[in-house]
Amino acid sequence: MLSYIIRRLLYTIPIVFGVMLLTFVLFNVVGGDVSDQIAGRAASAETIAEIRAEYGWDKPLFFNSEDFFDTQFFNHLKNTATFNFGRSWADRERVIDKIKRGAGYSLALTVPMFFISLAISVCISLVVAFFRGTWFDTAVMLLCVAGMSIPYLSFILFGQYFLGFKWGLFPVYFWPDHFPVQYYLLPVLVGVVSGLGGEVRFYRTVMLDEMRSDYVRTAFAKGLGTASVLFKHVLKNAMIPIITQVVLAIPFLFLGSLLLERFFGIPGLGYLFIGAIGSRDYQIVGAITYIGAILYVIFDLLTDICYSLVDPRITFD
Amino acid sequence: MNRYWFCLSGLLLAVLLFGCAGKSSSDSNEMVLYTAHGAKIHGLDPGDIGDQTSAAYASQIYETLYDYHYLKRPYELIPQLAAEMPLISQDGLTYTIHLRNDVYFQPDKCFGKNQKRRLTAHDFVYAWKRIADIKYISKNWWVFDGRIKGLDEFREYTKTVQKGQTVDYNLPVEGLHTPDDFTLVIRLKQPWPQIIYMLAHLPTAPMAKEAVEYYGRDIINHPVGTGPYMLGRWHRGSFIELVRNPNWRGQLYPSEGEPNDFPDGFLADAGRAVPFADRLISVLIEEDPPSWFLFLQGKIDASGIPKDNFSQAIDQRRQLTDDMKRRGIRLYTFRDPSTYWIGFNMEDPVLANNKPLRKAISYAVDRDKYIELFTNNRGETAYGIIPPLMKDYDPNISKIGAHYDVARARQYAEEAKKLNGGVMPKLKFAMPGTDVVFRQRGDFLIKCFRDAGLNIEIDYMDWPTFLDKIKTKSAQMFGLGWVADIPDSENFLQLFYSRNISPGPNNFNYSSPEFDKIYEQLRVMQDCPERTELYRKAERIVIEDAPAVFILHGVAYILTHDWLYNYKPHAFAYGLSKYRRVDTEKREKYRKRFKDF
Repeated sequence: MLSYIIRRLLYTIPIVFGVMLLTFVLFNVVGGDVSDQIAGRAASAETIAEIRAEYGWDKPLFFNSEDFFDTQFFNHLKNTATFNFGRSWADRERVIDKIKRGAGYSLALTVPMFFISLAISVCISLVVAFFRGTWFDTAVMLLCVAGMSIPYLSFILFGQYFLGFKWGLFPVYFWPDHFPVQYYLLPVLVGVVSGLGGEVRFYRTVMLDEMRSDYVRTAFAKGLGTASVLFKHVLKNAMIPIITQVVLAIPFLFLGSLLLERFFGIPGLGYLFIGAIGSRDYQIVGAITYIGAILYVIFDLLTDICYSLVDPRITFD
Repeated sequence: MNRYWFCLSGLLLAVLLFGCAGKSSSDSNEMVLYTAHGAKIHGLDPGDIGDQTSAAYASQIYETLYDYHYLKRPYELIPQLAAEMPLISQDGLTYTIHLRNDVYFQPDKCFGKNQKRRLTAHDFVYAWKRIADIKYISKNWWVFDGRIKGLDEFREYTKTVQKGQTVDYNLPVEGLHTPDDFTLVIRLKQPWPQIIYMLAHLPTAPMAKEAVEYYGRDIINHPVGTGPYMLGRWHRGSFIELVRNPNWRGQLYPSEGEPNDFPDGFLADAGRAVPFADRLISVLIEEDPPSWFLFLQGKIDASGIPKDNFSQAIDQRRQLTDDMKRRGIRLYTFRDPSTYWIGFNMEDPVLANNKPLRKAISYAVDRDKYIELFTNNRGETAYGIIPPLMKDYDPNISKIGAHYDVARARQYAEEAKKLNGGVMPKLKFAMPGTDVVFRQRGDFLIKCFRDAGLNIEIDYMDWPTFLDKIKTKSAQMFGLGWVADIPDSENFLQLFYSRNISPGPNNFNYSSPEFDKIYEQLRVMQDCPERTELYRKAERIVIEDAPAVFILHGVAYILTHDWLYNYKPHAFAYGLSKYRRVDTEKREKYRKRFKDF
């Protein structure tokens, strides 16, 4: 197993290099020069030139005949590898400080949303799979498709207007001077409800595959109770696709939720990211993309390791 | 298994409770002013501020030599950090300003423990040299560019400073002289009557050298000013809290104003010490629905009116609806110092050499319909560049400027075709946005152009791309506007001066020797009837040459709850929170009664 992990870690080197190259090309070559924007509307040409020098945008992109290492790409490699993402050009704050601060807010939203959603959707899918083909199954599937068809923004506006504003059950928006936990209730609820449709459908398919297996019939024949069969046997055997789904979703939890954070005023990474895209703050967009990619690679490896933990048939030799 | 679930639940709870560092502090007796801002605050360093949102909050922390009288109209300047109005030499080239000697910076660790740092004239010289320093990359060099003797030379010197070396701020600048700690003498290259307004403009606020050196580049996050408030908490991208500055010298609420100020209640607090509010809290809300809900819930004291909620707030008679009146909400409307237009790139060969084409486009746009559709009639039709709020506004401008007239537009379009020697090539209009509202605007304009027989397509793009196109002169036509910083019409006319062409503020790349001659004459003149005449003459030259289709001048609509007092709108000043007062009991009652509404 150790040799497998080492091998997988070595594979990540070209992947990370590819990510660095891609982010550089996307944000420094294709994205264009943002020095005009930094300088403001009334800036002179000399101010714009100074900005280009300040951020190193006056250097050659890939090749410098005089000094091989003095290029924009090499500086990008060096900085991203050491997590030195520089300063946001919009407000000159260190990008890493923004990310550190925003990650807590994003996780406070996405972690409960994810686990609550997972628990509910797995439970519902088990029950629905058990009653497959009945009116109950059809009704739940109909609701799932309806839920999937409604735009995410509609859930947000509905929740904000009725549950927050009209009925006063939850705060409408993040507000300083108050205990933070209550401001997460409504966005978490909206996030959970809006995501249920797709997840229940996915897990129902997984559960149905297991329900048709011989061991389930055997368990029922031996006289085991329904709950015991479903939650002890079926659920355990359905863990592989669930783990794949769960572990690979974790990096995205870190990145937050773009719309929920913006509409509920949660100052997380999703909000930061969408704002940075809008203002072409490539320092931030590049940094979050890079960290997201690194996390994805790490959790992809963890997924493989987890397989062997839940399924003894899987080995890495 | 139960143990694991217990641990996991504990972890989740911990993330929820402590995932966000939020200090909870509220005292029922204190007066807190709650507002919202619709755009991010980029920074609180006055030398580098280029947006209105940042300026609005930095202006509560930093002060300038002069300030606008809160109540008097037309706008009148009064001393703030200065002890009196400046002494101006006969030739208008030397300004001698005596400073107050009772002004201290807010307490800050950069000054050492328990040390009160007094403001001196050197802090102004330092702040202005800093803006001139090319290494600082200020957005506000335009304020001083070519104005003060020796300052441009200082800027040239900073260009020669190599990376790693420090700029020597002790180098003397001929035009910035401090005979003593409380006297500042400014020597100008040529008369600059607008300087008095610039001395009330945030970028000219003094900076403490110790603060800049202590915080370095992070000074943007650690404002150290002399104003009534100082930074309490600032969670970037979420909210900002300002608290009282214990070192502030104090000030009284004005006792004079306009004739209507007394019946309108703006003089009820005359002679009382300001600031009234202990804390100011402003929350970033970039989406309209939550902002509107919070205002109606009484969480926010004042608000604009989102486009989609306009009919909920304002009825057909342009009055508050019954629902708003029942809630005790008040409406304030006031003219903005703004003009919005469709600009032509006068270096584009098709547009530059075809005045009838530009005229055809000017007459094709139905401005009144545009204002009705896209601003809920919160605008006035524009016929020229100078808005009605400015005292140099030409009352006869509607007879001179272009207006909506399809027949005339078609006539000009035919002329343009003849001049071009055949069918006109398709023109491209750069639209600074891609969302649905911009697309609706684009569709409306296309319809107007098509009605006049003009072939123009809309190129939708994000703001940065748009800005890039403008700066590099690569947009053929574009939609843009200008909001004046100061109550002087020169601020608008500079947009057509040939020395200001892109990347400067003349985005039309318009060049007219006749206009330039008048502009150079008027920019050095003190305010007088002759100067007003020259402003109007210059504006007429622009209208005749048609480098732009003037669309509208903005009119702002602000709603406040009835517990917020002294909310008199001001078009140019930002540091006004010190005058606002809140009846906190009334606010609490409203919040409790909210569901009854």
